[in-house]
Amino acid sequence: MAWSPKFTQHALCKRIPTWPYADPKDRHVVSYDEYVKTGGYEGLRKALTMKPGDVTEAVKKSMLRGRGGAGFPTGLKWTFLPKLDEGQDDLSKRGPRYLAINADESEPGTFKDRLLMDFDPHLVLEGIAICCYACRLDKAFIFIRGEYHHQAHVLEKAIAEAYDNGIFGPKGLINSNANTGGAKFTVDCYVHRGAGAYICGEETALLEGLEGKRGWPRIKPPFPAVEGLFGKPTIINNVETLAHLPSIVENGPEWFMAQGVESTVGGPPSYGTKLMGVSGHVNRPGVYEFELGIPLRTLIEDYCGGIRGGKKYKAAIPGGVSMGILGTDQYEAELDFDIGRKYNVLGLGTACPTVFDEDTDMVAVARNISRFFKHESCGQCTPCREGSGWLYQLMTRIEEGHAKTKDLDMALEIATSMGSMPGTTICGLADGNNWALRTIMNKFRDEFETRVSPSHVAVKMTIGAAAHG
Amino acid sequence: MAWIPKPSASMKIERRDEPYLTQAMKDELSQRYLPRFETTLAALLPALHMIQHEYHWVPPQAMEEIAEFLGLSPADVLDTATFYEEYALAPRGRHVVGVCRSIACEFCGQPQVTQAIKDTLGIDVGETTADGKVCLVELECLGSCGTAPAALIDEELHEQLTPQRAAELVRQVRSQDAPPPASGREGLAPETASNAPKGASKSAPKSAH
Ligand SMILES: Cc1cc2nc3c(=O)[nH]c(=O)nc-3n(C[C@H](O)[C@H](O)[C@H](O)COP(=O)(O)O)c2cc1C
Ligand code: SF4
Ligand code: FES
Repeated sequence: MAWSPKFTQHALCKRIPTWPYADPKDRHVVSYDEYVKTGGYEGLRKALTMKPGDVTEAVKKSMLRGRGGAGFPTGLKWTFLPKLDEGQDDLSKRGPRYLAINADESEPGTFKDRLLMDFDPHLVLEGIAICCYACRLDKAFIFIRGEYHHQAHVLEKAIAEAYDNGIFGPKGLINSNANTGGAKFTVDCYVHRGAGAYICGEETALLEGLEGKRGWPRIKPPFPAVEGLFGKPTIINNVETLAHLPSIVENGPEWFMAQGVESTVGGPPSYGTKLMGVSGHVNRPGVYEFELGIPLRTLIEDYCGGIRGGKKYKAAIPGGVSMGILGTDQYEAELDFDIGRKYNVLGLGTACPTVFDEDTDMVAVARNISRFFKHESCGQCTPCREGSGWLYQLMTRIEEGHAKTKDLDMALEIATSMGSMPGTTICGLADGNNWALRTIMNKFRDEFETRVSPSHVAVKMTIGAAAHG
Repeated sequence: MAWIPKPSASMKIERRDEPYLTQAMKDELSQRYLPRFETTLAALLPALHMIQHEYHWVPPQAMEEIAEFLGLSPADVLDTATFYEEYALAPRGRHVVGVCRSIACEFCGQPQVTQAIKDTLGIDVGETTADGKVCLVELECLGSCGTAPAALIDEELHEQLTPQRAAELVRQVRSQDAPPPASGREGLAPETASNAPKGASKSAPKSAH
């Protein structure tokens, strides 16, 4: 059955012209005035008429799942914060609580958060204000990757507008609300620039970066909701996740739940729309907004103008190189949070597919990805630091034609040993490296085999039960 | 990421009388940044950004000055500065051309773009032109995968590059301006500038690791 959208308008791209409902050529930065004229900050106004706990309940009910890669339910994450007693809205009676906004977008193939920051920064700021109100957070730090100079600029300007108009700062909207028992409650919002380290996208590395240290992921627990930035309760959410909040609060959770799909494998549902940044060998690359559940083929053939040069589809990365690869026979894969369990990839990730045509050399793809992980491993954990280097060397050797069959087996063994066993690495980077390399080598095994010469003595190495996929 | 061995036995910090961390920078740090944070260490990334933006690298003396101003040990500053690729620990070209080499760009024409830039400048990736004006590096995904191939020239992003366009851009950048005398050191040949903690003999950026 052909897929067709149930919801034929954009929620996140309401003010950002986006194909197929509008022409991307008309994009421009939406100012505070234009934002308000087109219904902006209504979600925040509505939230302020509700009790903070009820806002959290609404977000929990909507089953909004994190858009930063892991798909963790946002409302549930918020409930991990320590409870505040009556009257503790007053900052002088308790320690500060923080929001860290993950705008580090560095996963290769991902360019979706940038669209929101480029053109509709107030949507992000409204989401921030709602989150801070619902969770009683006092300061919000937007941690933006260092390379996003322009976006940091746009955000700074929008934040200044928001301060002027009483969204943030001492006389804020939030201050004039009756539901905090008359207590003074204000929110401050700042941009904090990173400095060129992919790992700072990992939430605890991001906190270390904010604290001025090297971006080394922290061992968990304690989780950031309990001990986060400066050791205080902290919520970390992705830019796109927060941008969903205004419309969820304004239209209610049922509106959000009517979009997207239920899980077909007994998992949690994939509700709502998602920004999907399509790159690679398609005719019309760019960021699209569709309901979760759209099949990859539909996205590419019906909306992205098909594969470039009349060529055939060969493979795609579903959302960032960490997720692994969808094979030639997986063109029908539905882009929702079930994808990992159904199609033998790590997950949906950022839902920004990078598409490869039939002429693509998959060994070169593997070499490119392994170089990325070698370069970006923070070096704390031995399997990741050493394994990523070994994999890059092996991939280079295979690509150059100097490898033997045993090198291929060794590469698979190393990939499998990185992150498959829980607790051997501190963060998920090693697991991403594992899934990326392992799925490419397995799904395109024949391409690798034709590039290696037979070993004199056949060596078959696999370790433990983890050597699947 | 960088694990940089430093030539402890032979390392000398070259000093100048005029401080790198200017009064204006100190004022901005204490008025704009420090009130946001619970620790002074948290103002370190903004402080390093200021130095990098002004001098196009982070001299060891500047790290000491930042440490003193924020009440940190110089080792803390070095620890953080060596981790982040945006901070150059040795002088490199006045302008930095950073071509994205990640997945979407490599398979949408980046190798030809890099080649065109190398040919135009007569240098390899990780090198600086002899006039000290342009340094070529490769970066990871710049968030412009839909408009690949992309390159960041100083702080400006250029998208949908062709080899011709890339060559034209670097030519423009190279002829733009004379190296400013204030920072003094950029005109030096890379070999003479090996006093930085990483002891690099070339102006190799950390991303060449
Ligand atoms: C190595 C690594 C890199 C990550 N990079 C990013 C990133 O660039 N942006 C992002 O939003 N999340 C990134 N994440 C996910 C975050 O750790 C975290 O799950 C997310 O920011 C939570 O926000 P969400 O629940 O709103 O998605 C990364 C995770 C890992 C393990
Ligand atoms: S898994 Fe890799 S990136 Fe993550 S903490 Fe360990 S060494 Fe660092
Ligand atoms: S891969 Fe080059 S910008 Fe993303």
